[in-house]
Amino acid sequence: MYGIFMESFVILKLYTGLKLLLGLALLAWIVLLITERRRNVRILLVWAPVIIIALFLFPVSRKVFVAAGLDGETYYRVLWTIPMGVICCYGACRLFESRRKTGLVITSALIILCGSLVYQSSYITKAENLYHIPDTVIRICDRIRPENPQEQVSAVMPPELIHFVRQYDASIHMPYGREMLVDRWGYYNAVYEAMEKPEVVNMEELLAATRQEYCRYIVMTKEKATDRDPEECGLVLTAEIDGYRIYEDPVTAETVKGWQKYYEEEE
Amino acid sequence: MNLSNVFGLIWWLLAVPFCVGLLPLPLLKRRLRTPGVALVLGYILLFTILELVGIPVVLFNVYHGFTIFIKWFTPVILICAFGGVLVSILRVKKGYELNFQGAARWQKTMPEEKILLVLFLLLVGFQLYMAFTRASFDGDDAYYGAQALIAQQMDTLYRVNPYTGRSSPLDVRHVLALFPLWEAYIGSMSGVHVTILCHSIIPLALIVLTYVLYYQTGRILLKKNPRQLPMFMILIALWQMFGAVSIYTAETFFLTRTWQGKSFAGNFVIPAVLWLFLCLFEQDGEQQWSLNLKEGWKVRESGKGIVRHRQEEGNGQAGLWLVLSCVNLAGGASSSLAILLSCLMSMGFGFLFALYERKISILIKTGLCCVPGAAYVLLYLLLTHGILVF
Repeated sequence: MYGIFMESFVILKLYTGLKLLLGLALLAWIVLLITERRRNVRILLVWAPVIIIALFLFPVSRKVFVAAGLDGETYYRVLWTIPMGVICCYGACRLFESRRKTGLVITSALIILCGSLVYQSSYITKAENLYHIPDTVIRICDRIRPENPQEQVSAVMPPELIHFVRQYDASIHMPYGREMLVDRWGYYNAVYEAMEKPEVVNMEELLAATRQEYCRYIVMTKEKATDRDPEECGLVLTAEIDGYRIYEDPVTAETVKGWQKYYEEEE
Repeated sequence: MNLSNVFGLIWWLLAVPFCVGLLPLPLLKRRLRTPGVALVLGYILLFTILELVGIPVVLFNVYHGFTIFIKWFTPVILICAFGGVLVSILRVKKGYELNFQGAARWQKTMPEEKILLVLFLLLVGFQLYMAFTRASFDGDDAYYGAQALIAQQMDTLYRVNPYTGRSSPLDVRHVLALFPLWEAYIGSMSGVHVTILCHSIIPLALIVLTYVLYYQTGRILLKKNPRQLPMFMILIALWQMFGAVSIYTAETFFLTRTWQGKSFAGNFVIPAVLWLFLCLFEQDGEQQWSLNLKEGWKVRESGKGIVRHRQEEGNGQAGLWLVLSCVNLAGGASSSLAILLSCLMSMGFGFLFALYERKISILIKTGLCCVPGAAYVLLYLLLTHGILVF
C-alpha cells in the first residue's frame, strides 16, 4: 500500500513539474479558504480539491482505477478534475478586489515567472504547411501513392517519417508503424528487425521480409548503410527526395498488380 | 482551401452548434440564456448526439460505416438546429429572448475594463495564431489523426489498424470515443482534408469554445463584482499559456494537442461539469421587489432600467440537470476516461451538496444524470472484457 501511495505521490510531483505554478494555486486556495463565503464556490473550489487530492493519493483509488481496465499511465488525468487555473485566477481576483490593476500586474508576473511557456516546447516548430506535417513526407507520399484511389501500396518508412505518412494518405500502408517505436509496448516485426536493428542492413534479409509483407517501396536515407547496393539486389531507385531514396521492388509490384487485376475482374 | 470550404467550416463548427444550443435554452434561467451559453450547450448536445448515433453505427457496420454515419447524423443535427431556431423565434414572442446583456453592458463598461478585455482578446488571438502557424508533434496523432483519415478516405470505422493500414478486429478500447469520427465528419462535410482540419482549424474553434466556457464560469464566480471579469479572463489566458509545467497538465494538452479527444476532455468536458454545478447551486442574489404585479410577471433591471417581464416557469434547474446528463454522455466522445471522471465528479459534487443542504434529492438527481454515463461505462466493460463481441 505504501508503495502505491509513493507511486501516486511521484505522479503528483511529475505533474507539478516541480515548478512553483501549482504553489500559486495553493496560495490562492488558502485565500479562498479564508475569504470565500458562498457555499457553492466553497464546496467546488475549496473542499472538493482537497478531497480529490486525498483520493488521488489513497492507494485503493489507484488499484480500483487499474482494476476498472483503465491504463495506469493515465492516472495523472484524475488531477485534471481539480480546477487549478480557476482557483488561482479567482483567488487572485478575490485577493486584489480593491486593487485590481496592481493585482493583475502582480499575478500575471507570478504566473509568467512560476510557469513554463507552452510554446517553448521542443516539439513545437514552425508549420511547413496546413497539414502541420513535414513537406518531405508530402513529397514522398505524392511520389508513391497509387494513381487509382482504389489501389493501395505498402512502403517501409524511416522512423522519423512513420508518424506522418498515414496522417497524409490512408491508402499508403506500412509493414510497421508507431507501435514499433515505443519500446515498452514490446511488439515484434520482421521488417523492422531487418531494417532498423542492425547498423548495416542485410539486404537479403530485408528483401525476404519486405516481400513477405508485400512492400512495394522501401524508403531510406542516403546515409543508411547496407551490405550491398540495393539496386544490385533488384530494387529500382525511383526518386530521391530531400535526402531520402525511394526504391521500388519490381517483384512485389508485379505480385500486387496480379492481385489487383484479380480483384478488378471479381468486381 | 477555397471560400466554400471556409463557409462550410463556419457552418458546421459555429452556426450549427449555436443553433442546436438554442434548443435547450428556454429551460435555463434568463441569466444563462446568452449566445455564449448557447454555443457551449450546442457542443454538449452535438457530442451527445454523436455518441447516440455513432456508437450503434460503428458497432453494427463493418463496411461503409462512415457513409451510414453521415446519413443518420446529418439529418438529426440539422433537425435539432432547425428546432433551436424555431424555438428561439417562438420564444421571443413569449418573452424568452436571448440575453444580450453582456453586449449591452459593453457601452456602460469603464475604459479600463475595455482595455483589459481587448488585452484578453489579444492573448487569445496570439494563441490562435500560434495554433495555426505552429506544428506540434505528438505521437498519438499517428493513431487519432490516422483513424479520422481512414474514416474519411476508406469509409471504415475502427476496423483498420491506423498505424499500418491492415484490417483488424474492432478496436474495442477506442471504439466508444468518437472524437476522430466527428473530425472526419466536419472535414468531409466542409471538403477539407481531416489532417488539415485537426491541426489547423479545429484548434481555432476549440480554443475559443474553452474560453467561452471559462467566461461563463467567471460570470458566476464574479457575479457580485463583474468588473473583475476581464482580469479573471486575462489571468486564465496566461495560465493556459504558462501552464505547461509538465507534459501532463490539461493546459499543455490545451495548446499542443487541442484536436485530440483527451484535450477536449480536460479543457471542455471537465470544466463544463464545474460550470454546471456552479450554476446549479448558485445563490440567487436578485433583489426582491415589492411591487404588485399581475400573476406571472416580475421586474428586473436591464439596460433600459427597471422593466417588467414574464416570470420564468420553474427555477431553470431542470435544464441544467438535463445538460449535466448530456455532458456525462458527451464526454465519452473525447475519451472513455473522461466519462468516468465526469460521472465521478458529478457524484462527488452531488454528494457534497446533498450533505451540505441535507437534501437526498440532490444525490438522486445527480445519480440520474449519471445513468447515460453508466450505460456507456457498462458497454465499455462488456466490449473490453469480450462479453459483447461485434
